[in-house]
Amino acid sequence: MMGGDREAILQITSLRKSFGGVRAVDGVDLVLGCGELCCIIGPNGAGKSTLFQLLSGQILPTTGKIVFDGKDVTFAHPFERARSGIAVKVQSLGIFQDLTVDHNLRIPLMRRLSPREMPKAIDDLLRQVGLQGLNSVNARELSHGQKQWLALGMALAMRPKLLLLDEPTAGMSSEETRLTTEIIRASNAQGSAVVVIEHDMAFVRELRAPVIVLHLGRIFFRGTFSEVEENEEVRHLYLGTRNRFKSSDLPTR
Amino acid sequence: MLNWFSSVVRLINGEQEIGRSRGFWICAFAVAVGLIVLPRFVSAYALLNYSYIISMVFLALGLCLIWGFAGILSLGQAAFLGLAGYAYGVVGINLSQSGTTYLALIAGLMVPTLFAAVLSYVMFYARVKGVYVAIMMLVVTLLFETFLNQTAGPQWHIGVASLGGNNGLGRFSGAIHEPPSITLGLGSRLIEFSGQSVAFYYLEVGLLIAIYLCLRALVNSRFGLILAAIREDGARVESFGYDVRAIQLVVFCLGAALAALSGILYVSWGNFITPSVFGVTNNILPVIWVAVGGRKSLTATVISTVVLTWLSQRFAIQGEYAFVVMGALLVVVMMLRPEGLITSFGGRKTSASPPLSPGSSHDGR
Repeated sequence: MMGGDREAILQITSLRKSFGGVRAVDGVDLVLGCGELCCIIGPNGAGKSTLFQLLSGQILPTTGKIVFDGKDVTFAHPFERARSGIAVKVQSLGIFQDLTVDHNLRIPLMRRLSPREMPKAIDDLLRQVGLQGLNSVNARELSHGQKQWLALGMALAMRPKLLLLDEPTAGMSSEETRLTTEIIRASNAQGSAVVVIEHDMAFVRELRAPVIVLHLGRIFFRGTFSEVEENEEVRHLYLGTRNRFKSSDLPTR
Repeated sequence: MLNWFSSVVRLINGEQEIGRSRGFWICAFAVAVGLIVLPRFVSAYALLNYSYIISMVFLALGLCLIWGFAGILSLGQAAFLGLAGYAYGVVGINLSQSGTTYLALIAGLMVPTLFAAVLSYVMFYARVKGVYVAIMMLVVTLLFETFLNQTAGPQWHIGVASLGGNNGLGRFSGAIHEPPSITLGLGSRLIEFSGQSVAFYYLEVGLLIAIYLCLRALVNSRFGLILAAIREDGARVESFGYDVRAIQLVVFCLGAALAALSGILYVSWGNFITPSVFGVTNNILPVIWVAVGGRKSLTATVISTVVLTWLSQRFAIQGEYAFVVMGALLVVVMMLRPEGLITSFGGRKTSASPPLSPGSSHDGR
């Protein structure tokens, strides 16, 4: 299904991460082709966020291997991963609230553009994420949805080969979620591979991307969204018909 | 040429610093003129005091840069000040025959800056953060004080400069040599900037104006923008491809170099230095100056350092109340105006303004 005919951009091989005795990620294998889009879902404690942090480099794996764009980045520093083409949008917003919208976007843009090219690139990005005209507003003043879009815009500003998104629609209204879906699809159409870690099933449905279900640190199921929906086991696991997973219906954090 | 000039002006007047209105610059110009004509109106003793006050501003600016702009609090900036003073003094004493003090100046700037580079490499590449940096710096400076205090014996000397234990370098240590005043020039045309002289005062005023403007340009540059971002979320800055450790190292060295400048000015002003410069008060006072004025502003730091140092000298006449007053002031300001007195009243850039096109940032607030 994934990484079939296209050249692989991301290859994860038996990735493991233990915290004390707990195996948060317990042997994940995954291949993602250039320009592919995929969603990783799973109930609370499935290891989604740990997997995300292993990919972005905030934490290092216990064992296993991550190859990105032909390079082993398993133990690479976050800034080295960023330089090789991985952009991340973390769950906790990740914008600079003390700075203006314009300055926020300058930070990722400065690495590849000269000051002369900057104003146009900033305006293009703002249009792309629906924040046009807000250049000199302080990021703190934006609404929650706007902050999320700014964070997305900052990730897109890197023109990444791989875009890693951790719950990009957390706390958004359904209309805002729909717009976010469009932004993600558009950037995927421009050639970025995208991995979305998500909890909100409505959003996953809307994204119409291949889905990987994570459970207890392992890949439990892969398929299209409708396959996931139809799979009895996944439904029980994820949608909480078993009592012990009931809490997973609630939004995380 | 004009283009270049206007971009420098825009950089100096960027929005990372308060005081951007026409009114501010008129006041600043008036203050500069006031500083220049001041020696005509005050006694030699008062001028000596003002020279001391100005020499401390660079220490405060260095702390403002690393703490206010880059988010690294150091409780040991006096380590760089003291190290600079000793390095300048030792080299100056050894080369007193040469007439000029260029090599002593270079030593005074380079020794603390290189030391800061080694220290910050160890700290930032080992991911030491926040309060641990502050405490490590305090330990470092107190180690210097303890070490130098026990160098009274004759075996502790560098060339002809004996370190002098708790008497330090200078006329009190019984040594014949004392650290020289800054002496510049070529061949026989030498200018000596002795601490009591008007020339020394003008040297400091010139340095203050130049460094203040350079730092304003720095904090509004691309580098300054990255610093502001690191202050808020270093991990996020890394995720955009910046090596935050290297950036922190550079800014920490800049802060150390500014402290070193204070140290050189201090030792050449009084022609002496003792291990007590490494002590707790010299490390905590700059934190008070910067915090009370407003750590996120160079302008506030300059003003509050001058005012508070001047006030300390007033109080010192009445006895040792100065430190108590400074401590109380810090507590009160941190409770009522945690962003600092001058920045809260001086109108930090507000954000309720309507969207402006980028570049039209010359609104006076």
